[in-house]
Amino acid sequence: MVAPASSDPISTTFAALADPTRRAILARLTSGEASVTELAEPFEMSLPAVSKHLKVLERAGLIARSREAQWRPCRLEAGPLKDADDWLERYRRFWEESFDRLDEYLGEIQEREKKFGRKPPQEKEDQNGRDR
Amino acid sequence: MAETGNAPTSSTQRELVIERIFDAPRELVWRAWTDPERVMRWWGPKGFTAPACQVDLRVGGTYLWCMRSPEGQHLWSTGVYREIVEPERIVCTNSFADADGNPVPASYYGITEDLPLETLSTLTFEDHEGKTKLTLRTEGLPDGEMRKGADAGWNEAFDKLAESLAKA
Repeated sequence: MVAPASSDPISTTFAALADPTRRAILARLTSGEASVTELAEPFEMSLPAVSKHLKVLERAGLIARSREAQWRPCRLEAGPLKDADDWLERYRRFWEESFDRLDEYLGEIQEREKKFGRKPPQEKEDQNGRDR
Repeated sequence: MAETGNAPTSSTQRELVIERIFDAPRELVWRAWTDPERVMRWWGPKGFTAPACQVDLRVGGTYLWCMRSPEGQHLWSTGVYREIVEPERIVCTNSFADADGNPVPASYYGITEDLPLETLSTLTFEDHEGKTKLTLRTEGLPDGEMRKGADAGWNEAFDKLAESLAKA
């Protein structure tokens, strides 16, 4: 299905990627240009059905179709895909790095508890202050 | 040391999921998330510090966390607690905020125009062979469209695709 037009380019990219046929088409295009007929081959799908998917991908800017050759080969446009990927990657990395620091911090607290006993003074204070 | 890496999400999940196993009892991990003094010890990516943190840990209560980038920029985040089950589960909204705690779009910090104002996070803390498995699920990234995508199982394919693009 065609996703509702979105003002937000990353959402448009994700919506276009939400379909397994379209992802397979993109995966195929990573190995080079292909015609509609070539792209339709692996699917039990009519050419018009494949063309519909290509339109969604084209609208999302994920592929481009040559106007020159009569067979109008499709090729991958990496830009939007990269933007979407960059964004998710940034978000994921933000939490991964925070978790690394949390991991270190938890190690430190436990080390301290081992050295100074289960409840050193600052730990008691900490517990009293916490919201239960 | 943490044992597992993470995966952005598996094909059956509807959200972005980040998991980690911490070698610490669950209560300790819970407190690291809910006690402001403790949050300030670890929150933020590498090179960042967390100079301020307020937590009103009750349903309907808000939090306001601040992190400082290595360049000295302060970024504030806020949200409302929707569910609190000590020491198992926290559900809260998230958005960027100004220093007064008013929600602002990500573009306020020049991050991107494309992010939704608010996302929803579910944090679960599970006992895991004497350690604690922490799972952070985030919904609403970005604009709900990604969840549709995740539902259709695009993640794996997407990762591979992105990889092959990086090589190209």
